[in-house]
Amino acid sequence: MSAETGQIFKDAAPDLKFRAKWYTRRVLIYGTLLFWTVICLFPIYWTATTSFKIAPDVMQGHLIPWADFEPAWRGWRSLGLSPQTIFETSTVREEFLKRFTNSVITSLAASALAVVLGSMAAYGLSRFTYRLKFIKNRDISFFFLSQLILPPVVLALPFLVLYKELALLDSHIGLILLYTLMVLPIVIWIMRDQFSAIPVELEEAALVDGLSVWKAFLQIVLPIALPGMIAAFILSLVLCWNEYFFAALLTSTDAKTIPVMVASQTGSQGINWWSMAALSFAAILPLVIIGIVLERFIIKGMAAGAVK
Amino acid sequence: MAEVTIRQLRKSFGSVEVIRGVDIDIPDGEFVVLVGPSGCGKSTLLRMIAGLEDVTAGTIRIGERVVNNLPPAERDIAMVFQNYALYPHKTVAANLAFSLKVRKTDRAVVKERVEQAAETLGLTPYLHRYPRQLSGGQRQRVAMGRAIVRDPQVFLFDEPLSNLDAKLRIQMRTEIKELYQRLGTTTVFVTHDQIEAMTMADKIVVMEDGLVEQVGTPLELFDRPRNVFVATFIGSPAMNLIHGTVRRDGAPHVEANGHRLPVRPDREAPDGHSVIYGVRPEHLDLAEDGGGFPARVAVVEPTGSETLVFLRFGETEVVALFRDRHFFKPGETVHLRPRTDQTHLFDAATGVRL
Repeated sequence: MSAETGQIFKDAAPDLKFRAKWYTRRVLIYGTLLFWTVICLFPIYWTATTSFKIAPDVMQGHLIPWADFEPAWRGWRSLGLSPQTIFETSTVREEFLKRFTNSVITSLAASALAVVLGSMAAYGLSRFTYRLKFIKNRDISFFFLSQLILPPVVLALPFLVLYKELALLDSHIGLILLYTLMVLPIVIWIMRDQFSAIPVELEEAALVDGLSVWKAFLQIVLPIALPGMIAAFILSLVLCWNEYFFAALLTSTDAKTIPVMVASQTGSQGINWWSMAALSFAAILPLVIIGIVLERFIIKGMAAGAVK
Repeated sequence: MAEVTIRQLRKSFGSVEVIRGVDIDIPDGEFVVLVGPSGCGKSTLLRMIAGLEDVTAGTIRIGERVVNNLPPAERDIAMVFQNYALYPHKTVAANLAFSLKVRKTDRAVVKERVEQAAETLGLTPYLHRYPRQLSGGQRQRVAMGRAIVRDPQVFLFDEPLSNLDAKLRIQMRTEIKELYQRLGTTTVFVTHDQIEAMTMADKIVVMEDGLVEQVGTPLELFDRPRNVFVATFIGSPAMNLIHGTVRRDGAPHVEANGHRLPVRPDREAPDGHSVIYGVRPEHLDLAEDGGGFPARVAVVEPTGSETLVFLRFGETEVVALFRDRHFFKPGETVHLRPRTDQTHLFDAATGVRL
């Protein structure tokens, strides 16, 4: 046995060609993905950078900090959220926090309510056969979804009158109820697919194993449908969080939400883009965090519904 | 363990009656197979025993109790489903333990029973896996394990083998029978496969169209089918049926296609009665001497251990099964002689055994 070491086998010409092909494909695929990522993330980047610009930078379309404009805290200062102002009292910051809280309360409550109600409706639609003369399960599902066909503008005046009469204008409850109604069709649609994908024998097995109908639902069906429920919840949350039209219409001082505040960043010299950008960025930040943390649930939930 | 008694049971879905007055007695510790073509109501009947379907009329008794209105949980039964119905979010061990935990069984007892069931079913290495990580046969074993840990009054099986491939199915039906022989629990097993029914059952219930056609041991059903339906359903290849007329001049026989088919002399059928003559493929012998009836060979299927021959007797198709090897040519005419004491007669109008 000789103690010689070193490479014996070498890549032949076809091996090298194969590797070249493999690398080219990788580069192309990742290049495309990277390009798409840039397109998707650019608006967020723009919003974030704009919050550090002053008026001329915004107008001249400067994009890269330090290279073509000098970052300033102007936008954040106007919100009372810059390093210099964060420990001082700021009425704008207080208002921001109040609007932020309003958004949190209304979207969380509306989404939770929609997921609870929507899941029950969806479970009923997937497990029982309803017949009201010619109306069957499929028609009921469509009725729910058909709410989305109507443009919200059409409902603006009726809601305004209705809410005025019910004294729900500018109240959390009013907005929560409206948002629940708004996202309910989507929740029902997602959850119906979720429940339909769960074989009914699982519940029957649970019944035979000794559970009651409700316990079988809670212990067997719910855990399996949970990823879908979380996906539906997050989707509702995003829709409620970003809703502007009805919030602008039905709230004024007390229940006003973040999107309304963002839109109202106009000063005497026109729109204060920097403070609007800072506000927008602060507004989307929670969603970004939720998206990153719960992304796997969203994918799982959507996929489960899609495959079956 | 307990006996199951079913009296005048009926089930309707809307205006459709799927179970139309069924009476079955299942003694304590018996293995009963419900068999019939799809849509005959056998699965519905099983689900009614389990409590998963309401009873429209009649009674179901498990042991001393009428269980018509008891929820499944209180019937003390265990059921194995066709698609296994394992809880996908629980491990094998948790699946097995679930029903015991629901009943608040002592933890040490749960552990012992789960381990014992896992050992019996060869699942010990898989206890920490999830159902999705198991093969079809392993999943089916978990489903059975979930049933046996409970030690219930009655086991209910709903076509448990039909999702498995042919080879595994044969292996598992032997294993299920052995399991039953060890446990001795009253078992109701639903299948559409008559071979499964014949090989596993103490007693077979043949159903068709919501009614019980015949109840009996496998060999009773095979030897004395009560009507044409049972005669053709039990046994493979199916019994040959030949239309003919009873003749009592000389030795009693059936005249069909101008030939004489021998019948047992004790058959009570008057001269001139229109009948269906039944004889199983394996009860046809080759008549080298030119006796019996002539038939033209259509197709020959040699399987090695036996030879299956499809023939035409006039317009009637006839199948013969020989244990020894024959090399017939298609188109060739052979003579077949039915074994007289293995023949059956059915009324042509009602299909009932004579």
